[in-house]
Amino acid sequence: MVAAQSTRRRAIILLVLTAIILITLDLQNSSAISGLRSIFGTVFRPIEGTTRVVTRPVSNAWHGIFDYNNVLDENDRLREQVAQQEGATIAAAASVRLAQELLALNGLPTLAGINAVSAQVIGNSPTNFSQTVEINQGSESGIRVGMPVLNAAGLIGKITKVFTDRSIVMLITDPDFALSIKVVNAPRATTTTTTIARSNAAVPSPVVPVDPGSSSDSAVDTTTTTTTTTTIAGFTPTVTTLPAVPSGVSSITVPLVSELAVRETGVIEGRGPSRQPIVRFVDNSLRFGDIQVGVPIVTAGGSQSLSPPDIMVGKVARVVERLGSAGPILEIELVADLSNLSFLRVLLYQPITEKPAP
Amino acid sequence: MNRFLTIMASRWMRLVLVLLIVLSLQTTLFTELRPFGVAAQVVLLMVVVAGSIFGVAIGALTGLIAGLMYDLILSTPVGLGSVALGLAGATAGLLIYFFNEPTWWMRSIAIAVVSSLGEIYYPLVQATVGLDGWLQLRLVKVVLVVAVCNLLLSPLAIVVCRWTLSERKTTL
Repeated sequence: MVAAQSTRRRAIILLVLTAIILITLDLQNSSAISGLRSIFGTVFRPIEGTTRVVTRPVSNAWHGIFDYNNVLDENDRLREQVAQQEGATIAAAASVRLAQELLALNGLPTLAGINAVSAQVIGNSPTNFSQTVEINQGSESGIRVGMPVLNAAGLIGKITKVFTDRSIVMLITDPDFALSIKVVNAPRATTTTTTIARSNAAVPSPVVPVDPGSSSDSAVDTTTTTTTTTTIAGFTPTVTTLPAVPSGVSSITVPLVSELAVRETGVIEGRGPSRQPIVRFVDNSLRFGDIQVGVPIVTAGGSQSLSPPDIMVGKVARVVERLGSAGPILEIELVADLSNLSFLRVLLYQPITEKPAP
Repeated sequence: MNRFLTIMASRWMRLVLVLLIVLSLQTTLFTELRPFGVAAQVVLLMVVVAGSIFGVAIGALTGLIAGLMYDLILSTPVGLGSVALGLAGATAGLLIYFFNEPTWWMRSIAIAVVSSLGEIYYPLVQATVGLDGWLQLRLVKVVLVVAVCNLLLSPLAIVVCRWTLSERKTTL
């Protein structure tokens, strides 16, 4: 009896030490641990597959009892959404194509130029303390750790573990998730008036063509008085007389620089399934202005970012202002519904810094 | 050869095989059925039941083995679940230390309480290696649902655990 107890005590000590060593090795990304996972996966997958087949009727019955009404409601809601979006999709597709053509013409990277792999979600995380899903594509399809994962709506997460024929995707809501993003803020609400000195001030002025390049240099924005005065290059007010009736003048509307969207970078971080992700480290600059609820959040891209630029992530749901020079914290409403993932797209994208040297 | 057969016929080998099935149930059925959005933890239940029936040492060993197996299918660092479940098994084993022959209802309450504690151990252990962010208000809901689910499933788990971990005389 005493000998048995002593053996058990030794076994416990041995296992605790093993656990601590394994934690240390795994946190250092040891290949031995990856191998161990892979071997265990090979043994475990057939058992899991059999259990899945055997327990499917129970699972179906559960969903039939508890989710039937939700599915009906969701079905109605989705039908309405589809009807609303059908028209908008055609216009949006044309705009996206146009934007991609423009980007390609200017030699800028577009998402269309990045290869992608479609994958199906085959499992959720079995624990309550991890926001991951498992997909049925792995290193055989060219997937590597860090690649961004999207669904039809936008970004949903990134690859964190890759096996031969499956991968683990960490969702945006996981507290360990972080990615650099851009906040595309709308321009500040200002009353813009173009002041042009003319001989007859009482006559309404036609739209005057303005050279955008020169206007950006010479424009003086007085944001504190909410008035912008534009001085036009090459325009001599004293000798110009505008016609009283603007007949035959072609109108060209050129947006002012202050009317264009302003972008500021930050970092999106997950906060678990019950709380919305937040964006931190947004610059509190005057130029950027007040961030409005509803402005879009897209990926920032860059040579060190794991994601290419301009993938839709979500929109600002709440702005939490902070004192001092610390920028605000933004709560983000994700565009993708992470509770109901089925088919995903893994972008086979690696930043320049991650690509192996030839 | 005899030694190999003894090991293969031992209760620990039986435990590993049973845990493989329990683990597959965890990753399939109990990942799908999520009452109130929370997954019931049957691996934790097996560990807690083992501790409450066979004591601290067996509970801790079961927890360490089950945790190690669980870790190998999770994306979190290997060893975290092992430590958390080992602690849960040892905590459940304290029941026998305080009550020599616990009644069925005392055991049931202990299983529910220790299941709650076991579910708290995991984010605590995660936090110690820097994977924080899980200690939030949602934990209360998780703990309550896991405790109730484990309480309901405990009669079946007790039968399975007794069969798995009871010592049998082998004639080799």
